[in-house]
Amino acid sequence: MLEFDGLHKSYGGNRVLDGVSFAVAPGTMFGFCGSNGAGKTTTMRIAMGLARADAGEVRWQGRPLDQALRRRIGYMPEERGLYPKMRVGEQLAYFARLHGLDAGAATRAAEHWADRLGLGARRRSRVEELSLGNQQRVQLAAALVSRPEVLILDEPFSGLDPVGVDALAEALLEQVRGGVPVVFSSHQLDLVERLCDAVGILARGSMVAVGPVAELRRREAGGLLRVDVPDAPPGWAAGLPGVRVVAERAGDTLLELAPGTDDQAVLAAALRTGRVAHFARREPSLVELFREAVAEPAGEVAA
Amino acid sequence: MTSPGTRTPGSAALVRLVAAREVASRIRDKNFLISSAVILLLLLGVMAFQVAVSGGDGAARLAVVDDDGRLGPALEAQGEVVGVDVEVVDLPDQAAARDAVEAEEVDAALVGGTGPAPELVLVDRDPALEAVVGGAVSGLAVSDRLLEAGVDLQTLPEVAVTPIGDQGEDDGQRVVVAVIGVVVLYSLLILFAQFVAQGVVEEKASRVVELLLATMRPWQLLAGKILGLGLLGLGQIVVIGVVGVTGALAFDLVDVPGQLIGTVATVVAWFVLGYAFYACVFAVAASLVSRQEDLGSVLTPASMLLVVGFFVAVQAAGDPAGTLATVTSYVPGLSPLVMPVRQAAGEAAAWEVALAVVLMLVTIGLAVRLGGRVYAGALLRTSGRTRVREALRAERA
Repeated sequence: MLEFDGLHKSYGGNRVLDGVSFAVAPGTMFGFCGSNGAGKTTTMRIAMGLARADAGEVRWQGRPLDQALRRRIGYMPEERGLYPKMRVGEQLAYFARLHGLDAGAATRAAEHWADRLGLGARRRSRVEELSLGNQQRVQLAAALVSRPEVLILDEPFSGLDPVGVDALAEALLEQVRGGVPVVFSSHQLDLVERLCDAVGILARGSMVAVGPVAELRRREAGGLLRVDVPDAPPGWAAGLPGVRVVAERAGDTLLELAPGTDDQAVLAAALRTGRVAHFARREPSLVELFREAVAEPAGEVAA
Repeated sequence: MTSPGTRTPGSAALVRLVAAREVASRIRDKNFLISSAVILLLLLGVMAFQVAVSGGDGAARLAVVDDDGRLGPALEAQGEVVGVDVEVVDLPDQAAARDAVEAEEVDAALVGGTGPAPELVLVDRDPALEAVVGGAVSGLAVSDRLLEAGVDLQTLPEVAVTPIGDQGEDDGQRVVVAVIGVVVLYSLLILFAQFVAQGVVEEKASRVVELLLATMRPWQLLAGKILGLGLLGLGQIVVIGVVGVTGALAFDLVDVPGQLIGTVATVVAWFVLGYAFYACVFAVAASLVSRQEDLGSVLTPASMLLVVGFFVAVQAAGDPAGTLATVTSYVPGLSPLVMPVRQAAGEAAAWEVALAVVLMLVTIGLAVRLGGRVYAGALLRTSGRTRVREALRAERA
């Protein structure tokens, strides 16, 4: 287990993290969401020892992360960082060696990952000569080249074209299949939804929602019901007990049911109006979950 | 999941990796190669200049016609007295001598040197050469007349020469070597301390420092960087020293090779101390900024110290026993530039050198300790310019 446990962090009077906790099981992918400035990067930097938590710790296999354990983590910082004048192959081998591979293994791993991420032909190029997308691939290769036990990636998909996204997604899924826990932050929620076993939504310094995507949806889906009754008169559902009409347009109605309300009674009422084209609990998309979770106090400016 | 081929590298291994990367990337760097070539060329140029200058008034070629075998040696002996190397060439007749002078194959031609009307043929008048020839010719003539008069020349007293100065010329030579050494020292200190500073900013500006610090501590990064570039700098100054000494010996520019080598070794040793200090200070200063453009402003104070040291050292070459030279040769930061000059001039006692070294070592220790903390605190602050106090606070937080 990779456990983030009760992280607190303030910069001056600005409280950035206020008890962030979540856990990522080996072989699962965790999507870390939150608005800009919510503290995702700070959380990851604390895990990598680049910032010090005021309280709380990050553990891997029950042990608090230290310098030696961190060397087994593949990390991709939010601000991409590579030596601009160093050649791709040498750079990857260098990072592999810093993570403890010996010279031979490092060279082989650098070759492998360069090929794997479509950089085989650019191995001898300097990083500064590459396109941004390719630099991004090098950055990812730098995180993967040391055969890490854990991956922590800050916005790995930003700036990639769809082909690059697919290549990266495939590489990450392969790591997951190999038993590596992967944490990545992203604003591309469709991607998070597609790839991740679990998500966490960070808002105002703490996790406002954590869990498998399906479970979160079901939890949130509880009250919403979409009923499409083309023949119904306007206001057909207004009188039903425990039902609030959220939206209604030409019979396509979104209802919010109070806890304990019998949805079958709603169905019966709908059938009484004539044809029922659609009747289903509506599961919110991750985007809606996110908006819901992050929305509360208005007017907070991202730090 | 522990994979084969993986082990946790210790501090030494990490420092070595960082150092190796610095050396590998610098040694292929165009600026480094060009600056190395320029320094070597300058050094060879200085030596070639010395050869040209000292060669100008040496080895005058003098053609002699009708030598009876005594004139040649007499001319050479007289040349030695006056301080002009004379090379004597025998020519068969006056016409050949005149041709040789006109063709500038010889500097002058002496015709009828032992006869009653000796004549010196040359293109332009040359007082030194004229004096040599005049002295030799009249000397021969006088001894001939005396022999004819039956005077015994064997009993003439010879003057023994006893110099009582303290080998002034040798020290002068050593000071020249020390000044050249200080110029090289200064250039290399500036160059390599700049390399360190640029490297630090490059890592900050490119944000690669985040990846690095996820695997090692700031001091390991700093140590690797300073050691790697330091080894490169040491290699370079040793190469320059070897080329310089070899060249000086080959061109016959020095009289006492042992002292030359001693002075060069002193300069190299002071380079190590000076570099350790300046590299550390430059690295720490550089860690406060995030862009190469801002580097100049933070490096100015340390660069100024280095420049001051350089000028004091040049001044000290002229007045190695003066108060300025004596005092500054103890001041850490200045001592690596000034002390070698005083040592070369023979003005520094062993305890003085030892004191300067100890003061320098203590300062280096302080710079490493305090600088390391500032560096660690400032390294991850990539917004604009960090103040030293902020960096120290960040390091503790």
